[in-house]
Amino acid sequence: MLRILLINDTPRKVGRLKTALIEAGFDVIDESGLTIDLPARVETVRPDVILIDTESPGRDVMEQVVLVSRDQPRPIVMFTDEHDPNVMRQAIKSGVSAYIVEGIQAQRLQPILDVAMARFESDQALRAQLQARDQQLAERKRIELAKGMLMKMKDCNEEEAYTLMRRQAMSRQQKLIQVAEQIIAMSELLG
Amino acid sequence: MNDSVGNSPMNDPLAWVNGSDAPEKGSLDLGFMALSDCASMVVAATQGFAQPYGLTLNLKRQSSWANLRDKLVSGELDAAHSLYGLIYAVHLGIGGVAPTDMAVLMGLNQNGQSINLSHGLQQQGVITPEALDRHVHQSRTKLTFAQTFPTGTHAMWLYYWLASQGIHPLQDVDSVVVPPPQMVAHLQAGRIDGFCVGEPWCASAVKQNQGFTLATTQAIWPDHPEKVLGCTQAFVDQNPNTARVLVRAILEASRFIEESRENRRSTAQLLSGREYLDAPLDCIEPRLLGIYDDGLGNQWQDPHALRFFADGEVNLPYLSDGMWFMTQFRRWGLLREDPDYLGVARQVQQLALYRQAADGLGIATNDQDMRSSQLIDGKIWDGSDPAGYARSFRLHALADPTHRQALR
Repeated sequence: MLRILLINDTPRKVGRLKTALIEAGFDVIDESGLTIDLPARVETVRPDVILIDTESPGRDVMEQVVLVSRDQPRPIVMFTDEHDPNVMRQAIKSGVSAYIVEGIQAQRLQPILDVAMARFESDQALRAQLQARDQQLAERKRIELAKGMLMKMKDCNEEEAYTLMRRQAMSRQQKLIQVAEQIIAMSELLG
Repeated sequence: MNDSVGNSPMNDPLAWVNGSDAPEKGSLDLGFMALSDCASMVVAATQGFAQPYGLTLNLKRQSSWANLRDKLVSGELDAAHSLYGLIYAVHLGIGGVAPTDMAVLMGLNQNGQSINLSHGLQQQGVITPEALDRHVHQSRTKLTFAQTFPTGTHAMWLYYWLASQGIHPLQDVDSVVVPPPQMVAHLQAGRIDGFCVGEPWCASAVKQNQGFTLATTQAIWPDHPEKVLGCTQAFVDQNPNTARVLVRAILEASRFIEESRENRRSTAQLLSGREYLDAPLDCIEPRLLGIYDDGLGNQWQDPHALRFFADGEVNLPYLSDGMWFMTQFRRWGLLREDPDYLGVARQVQQLALYRQAADGLGIATNDQDMRSSQLIDGKIWDGSDPAGYARSFRLHALADPTHRQALR
């Protein structure tokens, strides 16, 4: 039976992942809390597979485990290289990272990943390249417009106008486009 | 505006024949970690520096370096604020990914990290390198030091500094990995005795009276390479124009940050925002302006503080900078054999692309591919004999079997 170490240190709801894995017949050890002593715990538990949230800050600690384990008889690797890179891509996208002990066959890992991927809330942030392009063109025009208005108002050159707008934006933790919109609105008001 | 539409490759069939400079990809996802030295990327993305090139930059904050790396390799991020060593580790296949050809497009900054010890050590009088050396060699319990990534710059600075003081970083102390924003909490809880990390987390430890700065990384190597703009080689091959204008936009933002003290202050204000560092301004601003307070009552204006531009000196991806990290991987046993130092660096460092980008902005570029520096132990690094350099240190862990377990 494969032994799975489940590291649970992010606010994301892992949901019934543990139960689901147990129902699928795996031996699951659930770990929550701090990951700083993860190397020691991995050594004690000796899991075959380690599942961890992709967004977990503990990922960097796992890197250390990988490096330490490479000289031991059962090195831990993240998605062995003979494994399909698409599986890795898909898993990372859905928010799950798997570290497996070298020598475990891909077909034994697949059901674990299937369960894990189904349980992790998938990040559905789809970005439309086209929409971004339209928006960026529109923003460029608005920034140009605001810059022109500011040059007139402050009787300054183009570079000075940009610097003024940028300083204003940065000190308010805003984007340049936001300050440009404010200048345009104000200018319309004062007409 | 009409002109630019008229010249776009879609409207002008000859643009393809004549070669077009238009970016192949109009919207890029850029990864960064919550550290003060991500500033030029954040300023470029939010302050309209890429817009004139028809490029939208989307910032994606990452929770760990490993995650940032995996997303770079898998293509979910187009480019990222990266640890120098991380890019080389991926390229050479050290760590949790299969080797992938990587590229360093430009240097993002130099200097500005530091090594800090706990308040507890301070109370025991361990406030100098000599006292630390004594403590390490006489005390029965091993001290634990944290860095941010096994192959990262902070691990290399920490190891280099400890070794320069006679302390073997892999034998005399324990080394653990902690993500930057969690350093202070671990120090406070007594789980670690010291750490090496970037700002604002060192200033934050001092401010909260949890620790003090024992050494800055610029004291180890004045004007040392630190973060780079990294991506896969595949991204550069498929999007050469995009890569070039991305470098241009970030170079312009870097120049803007350093144009005046006022601009640096505004940069600090921007960075403290929730979407970026989410940290108090008083932890970010002083050291961004080069004003240091070590927590032991010493204050100074640092001549080699964090810098982003310096007329382009910061940004040229010198071959010798990339090679240095490989020599340290070799020194500490992360590489079992000497790589082809020069060959690998030539592959990774995108010198030609950088020079094209900088020339277009009238930024002078050095025609030398190497630079020479003197480090804290008096050694000169100029890239001329990397294999010899890697072997020249008294303290090391050159991969022989007895040293293998020492990695932790």
